[in-house]
Amino acid sequence: MSGQVAPSEDQSPGLIKSTQELGAGLFLMAIALFFYWQGLDLPRGTLRALGPGMLPLALVTLLGVGGLMMVIYSLFETGPRLERWSLRGPFFVFGGIILFALLIRTCGLMIAGPVSMIFGMMASDEFKLKEATIFSIAMTIICILLFKTLLRLPIPVIGTLLEPIFPF
Amino acid sequence: MEAFLGNLAMGFGVALTLNNIFLCFVGCMVGTLIGVLPGVGPIATIAMLLPITFGFDPTGALIMLAGIYYGAQYGGSTTAILVNIPGEATSVVTVLDGHQMAKQGRAGVALGMAAMGSFFAGTVATLFIAALGQPLTKLAQLFGPAEYFSLMIMGLVFAVVLARGSILKAMCMILLGLLLATVGTDLETGQERMTLGIQDLSDGVDFAVLAMGIFGFAEIVRNLENPETRDVVRAAIGRLWPSKDDFRQSYFPILRGTLIGAVLGILPGNGAVLGPFASYTVEKKIAKDPKRFGRGAIEGVAGPESANNAGAQTAFIPLLTLGIPPNAVMALMVGAMTIHGIIPGPQVMTKNPELFWGMVASMWLGNLMLVIINLPLIGLWVKLLQVPYRMMFPAIMIFCCIGIYSINNSTSDVLFTAFFGLVGYTLLKFGFEPAPMLLRFVLGKLMEEKLRQALILSRGSFSTFIERPVSAGLLLVAVVMLAIALLPSIQKGRDEVFTE
Amino acid sequence: MKKLVLAIAATAMMAGAAQAQSYPNRPVTMIVPFAAGGPTDIVARIVGEHMSKTLGQQIVVENVAGAGGTTGITRASQSKNDGYTIMMGHMGTHGAAPALYANLKYDPVKDFEPVGMAAGTPILIVGKKNFPAKDLKEMMAYLKANPDKVNQAHAGIGAVSHMTCIMFNSQLGIKPTAVPYSGTGPALNDLVSGQVDYMCDQIVNLVQQIKAGSIKAYAIATPVRSPALPDVPTTVEAGMPDYQVTAWNAIFAPKDTPKEVMTALTDALNKALDDEATKGRLLELGAVLPTKTERGGQWLGEFVGKEVARWTPVLKDASK
Repeated sequence: MSGQVAPSEDQSPGLIKSTQELGAGLFLMAIALFFYWQGLDLPRGTLRALGPGMLPLALVTLLGVGGLMMVIYSLFETGPRLERWSLRGPFFVFGGIILFALLIRTCGLMIAGPVSMIFGMMASDEFKLKEATIFSIAMTIICILLFKTLLRLPIPVIGTLLEPIFPF
Repeated sequence: MEAFLGNLAMGFGVALTLNNIFLCFVGCMVGTLIGVLPGVGPIATIAMLLPITFGFDPTGALIMLAGIYYGAQYGGSTTAILVNIPGEATSVVTVLDGHQMAKQGRAGVALGMAAMGSFFAGTVATLFIAALGQPLTKLAQLFGPAEYFSLMIMGLVFAVVLARGSILKAMCMILLGLLLATVGTDLETGQERMTLGIQDLSDGVDFAVLAMGIFGFAEIVRNLENPETRDVVRAAIGRLWPSKDDFRQSYFPILRGTLIGAVLGILPGNGAVLGPFASYTVEKKIAKDPKRFGRGAIEGVAGPESANNAGAQTAFIPLLTLGIPPNAVMALMVGAMTIHGIIPGPQVMTKNPELFWGMVASMWLGNLMLVIINLPLIGLWVKLLQVPYRMMFPAIMIFCCIGIYSINNSTSDVLFTAFFGLVGYTLLKFGFEPAPMLLRFVLGKLMEEKLRQALILSRGSFSTFIERPVSAGLLLVAVVMLAIALLPSIQKGRDEVFTE
Repeated sequence: MKKLVLAIAATAMMAGAAQAQSYPNRPVTMIVPFAAGGPTDIVARIVGEHMSKTLGQQIVVENVAGAGGTTGITRASQSKNDGYTIMMGHMGTHGAAPALYANLKYDPVKDFEPVGMAAGTPILIVGKKNFPAKDLKEMMAYLKANPDKVNQAHAGIGAVSHMTCIMFNSQLGIKPTAVPYSGTGPALNDLVSGQVDYMCDQIVNLVQQIKAGSIKAYAIATPVRSPALPDVPTTVEAGMPDYQVTAWNAIFAPKDTPKEVMTALTDALNKALDDEATKGRLLELGAVLPTKTERGGQWLGEFVGKEVARWTPVLKDASK
């Protein structure tokens, strides 16, 4: 909803004086609500004998109040507007990391390294496939030498899927 | 005094053998290397290198492992300054002003100052350990759960002062940090809290996972969408060496930071993490123009870095004199000592004096080596900033992924990091500062643990916090600091909201 | 590029042929379900080092900590049963876990092939320096007389110090106030400074403090005294003969690992336990090594069954 406001650096003239503050408040309230729901089943105990649920409940309440205050402020105090959100960066960067997590045990660093890096590099608008391929393969070799050979971390280079055909 | 000098002489006699100098050097080099790599922490590396040290004599092995430990501290600061990723809880503060300095083309100055501050702090801390190690342990013994809780309350005040911009937003980040710290198995009942039924969350969220996500990955995404900000770092590379003015501004912060860090480092409950935060708070409070903080103030690098290194060193006191490890790295050192047939405890000092004093001497030697290794490297590190960002960020990405994976050999940790990266990016978009959250996250666990222990011991009576003199004193300081800190901060916080 | 692909394919095929060679032809991963540097990790590394020599392949220790060790064991139990992933199980993961974790994803008896017992560390009962009891009998009397006053420390739910003290308390018939800590270090610190009254833990964590006199040892829960602490009486001597607890560590492989692999592993473990240097290192820790009859997979398999049966009622009762 805030994204539809005309792109200008000035604060919006309408009812909401700071879309950033409003978004921040709503975001915090959502987090508070989520954790409140998650902690519903935990026994709270008493003040004299704190249970596992007591502290989370107190924090969630305060966080919710803080979020609410921000929402109220956003209606009265002028503040910065919400920045434009880009999708390309988060999609490729976080996608690359997720690919790494999915591939590292099965295919090893050998495959997970280049794949996750090339995918992640697509986040940049200066992306060139050839450069990315060469760079990511070189980086993967450096990483294998550095982490496996030099630092001896037990990171899988080959992975369980490919292990039977690469016996080293 | 004579005994003290004699002991030190014996220590240097041990540390200065060719073999041990070499091991110290190797340790410092490896430590610097892993410290600089974002995401790879000293814990994983020391664990992996343990078997290699089987063949060494115990003193040599420990000298090398200790070298890795403080080498990693040094290297961690480098990464914090250059790419805005705190490798450890203690370098969260360095990020604040250090990276701002880098953006202003003062990366070399920040790195140089950090190195020299650390060396000074290391020297003082070494003497501190040698002279006062034994009596200081007694002081640490005064700290029961109630005292710790009060200390943590005092730490809350630091978090408020750390805030840039809106005070309300900072408070909310503090709450969020505390909330995240409650995720995991409840200490007392063993019940799982807020884990969404995910088994990998049963021990809570790992610090590195949160820090890499919130700082590292969120920063990458943000940089990718604002080409201007990242090019600033590349374009402006100023002088490599601190100027006279820089030195003049840093003398006292380094002195104060060293003292603060050294004292807090002795506390057995990982008090060392408080050091940099405390130092930063003090510097910001007594500065003529606190507004410079968070915008590249050199005091904000020099003070906390000194505190960091002093604390890293004095954290050895509870280990060497009591045999009680104050944090995870020290616990690993206990393992290393045990493997070599030395069970750390009050008797190490009398039974293995060469080991004890040799280690103390090698600490200073290690610090000297680190300065020698690091000062020439500054030019190289600064050059690294000139690598085009489209190549820099995938490199950071892969290092972080490997590092996170190696903490616990767990793929879910990597996935969590991606998740927290997304959260961090959202928080940045909404104008939140992640540093207070990270600080409270670190202290939150300890705080709840100590609160509940204190209440169990007092059978539910809150008066325990006031009846115990040390605890009462700490609470009093906290109240006074809060009063001093909060009043002008609210004023200023609002000003900044208007101006930004 | 094409050449590279061809070369990779060729090596892959040759490698496939080499597969038929005998076990092991590549490094073996040993999952240790606790953080590096702890007692189980140390035992694994010491034993693993010698086993590597016998097997001719490196045993790589992989620490997968979490949830009292059950995270690592769950992962290990689900990995491929080809002998290239083995694990260091423990009194907690293979004895107490079924009682402590309601949704445990493995069965300690059915889901593993036992390789053999590696080493155990005996449990000690210790009190703070000025605890008003001079021996175990007095301590037992004091604990029974002052159930509301005493504080017992432990290093968190599922920790060795937690379980073993529950066993101690249940044999005494008391339920004292238990103060949880997030590890042995902080718990021991508060015992030394006298914030808490007593705890039970592995000898390796306590021996230096006892020797220095900063805490008092009441008894060691083994049939014979430990050479590391010859002055500390056994529970048999001190008047609590039924309290026999050792935090044992043993090697397991996933279910249905081939017979010849199991033989090779058991053989390598036994060779390590016979090696003087390895033995010396373990004994220095205050560890107890398995006797000849306690070696091998079959004995371990039966032992695990007995341990589960012994811990389950005690722990279930304590959590009521």
